[in-house]
Amino acid sequence: MNRRTLISALCAFGVTTVSATAASAAPPATRATITVFAAASLTDALQAVGKAYTARTGVPVRFSFASSSLLARQIESGAKADMFVSADQVWMNHAQKAGRIDAGSRRTLLRGRLVLIAPADSRVAVRIAPRFPLAQALGANGRLAVGDPAYVPAGIYAQTALTRLGVWPSVQTRLARADNVRVALSYVARHEAPLGIVYETDARAERGVRIVGIFSEASHPAIDYPAALVRGASPVARGFAAYLQSPAAKATFRRYGFRTFG
Amino acid sequence: MLTATEWEVLALSVSIAGRAVLFALPLALITGWVMARTRFPGRTLLDAVLHSSLFLPPVVVGLVLILLFGNDGPIGEMLARFGIRLIFTANGAALAAGVMAFPLMLRACRQAIEAVDPRIEAVADSLGAGFWDRTFSITLPLAAPGLIAAAVIGFAAALGEFGAVITFAANIPGETQTLALAIYAALQQPGGEAVALRLAGISFGVAIVALLSSEALLAYGRRRSGQ
Repeated sequence: MNRRTLISALCAFGVTTVSATAASAAPPATRATITVFAAASLTDALQAVGKAYTARTGVPVRFSFASSSLLARQIESGAKADMFVSADQVWMNHAQKAGRIDAGSRRTLLRGRLVLIAPADSRVAVRIAPRFPLAQALGANGRLAVGDPAYVPAGIYAQTALTRLGVWPSVQTRLARADNVRVALSYVARHEAPLGIVYETDARAERGVRIVGIFSEASHPAIDYPAALVRGASPVARGFAAYLQSPAAKATFRRYGFRTFG
Repeated sequence: MLTATEWEVLALSVSIAGRAVLFALPLALITGWVMARTRFPGRTLLDAVLHSSLFLPPVVVGLVLILLFGNDGPIGEMLARFGIRLIFTANGAALAAGVMAFPLMLRACRQAIEAVDPRIEAVADSLGAGFWDRTFSITLPLAAPGLIAAAVIGFAAALGEFGAVITFAANIPGETQTLALAIYAALQQPGGEAVALRLAGISFGVAIVALLSSEALLAYGRRRSGQ
């Protein structure tokens, strides 16, 4: 092998290596995926909508479902999400204040309702009204299963509603404070608690519980689910954000017990 | 220095971790002795089962506890007949924390028993000491340093346990809200970092105190036995 061949061989090797590195560093344009950070209470509904979107467009949608507070903190500290759907405005505001949200894309996507539930085989009957006998309905040592009113949005709504109805003082020491609303739901479904307060959507997803009553919208702040693109989201995410407002997606959300706008 | 709420959380945490050690340590000692001194078929399988809370996610352990000790669970139903309720109570929190800390205590107990020379036990045996006499006057005193270590590590693990406790006992202030749960709750609120850090500092203080008292206990034991 003469010297010239050797040099050209080395050059060829170098070029191949560099181009291989460049190719692996570039985003794979053909296999774009959308990453959505969404509140845990949206798990079933959003997965169904995501599947329909992928079937229609071929673009895979990945979800990370967790509490809105955790997701907002992750987005704040730079997590690579394209979209954030929060279970309340507070944590969306938090992420927006941190400068991580594309404010122009923010929409209130869904609205939920708060319900009082009992195990499916329970015969308890109470009517939600001012000063209704909630503590008596719990029996001697039963607890009311709720998301922790200190930080779980469903629990905060429950506390507000019960306070406005004047029954909060009688039950505040009798709560089973769950880490999220789905745990509160399972406490009731498993007969660990005779009554619980969850979203209508949760109650509909669990065969082990029945809805005893629905809290009027006047008794608590609106249960809104805001959605927004995260700054620097991949362009394909806009398509999914638009799809969430489409009649097909709205029909799916309503089937899971959410209310939609427009 | 500490607020009333912080004192309450601290006292409750120490009480729950203490109860966890109180019920789990005797079981760890017995199973540790069995593992160290006996051979039988299925021993490895039993060992794996005893260590299951080490490799299962804590929330799964919490769920299994609900299935066993909840109102619909076989053990829960039995206890309810005696008026004992574990779910959503401080004793339930101690159960969950104790189950999570059990494998660590088991390992320490087993090693402590294994470290006792069986020939000394054999000598006691030859001099006419029965099983219980031999166990209480030879085996346990010789294993004491290891057993104290088991108690301390179990206490520390129970103090920091989170997932199993919040799943089984929920997060009820004054009843089941330990330091670990209070820290978690604080972190869920916007701007709760300062509160969480204070509580973490308190946890650290408790762990230091527990460690120092175990050292003191060991030193006392050494002086008494003249080693």
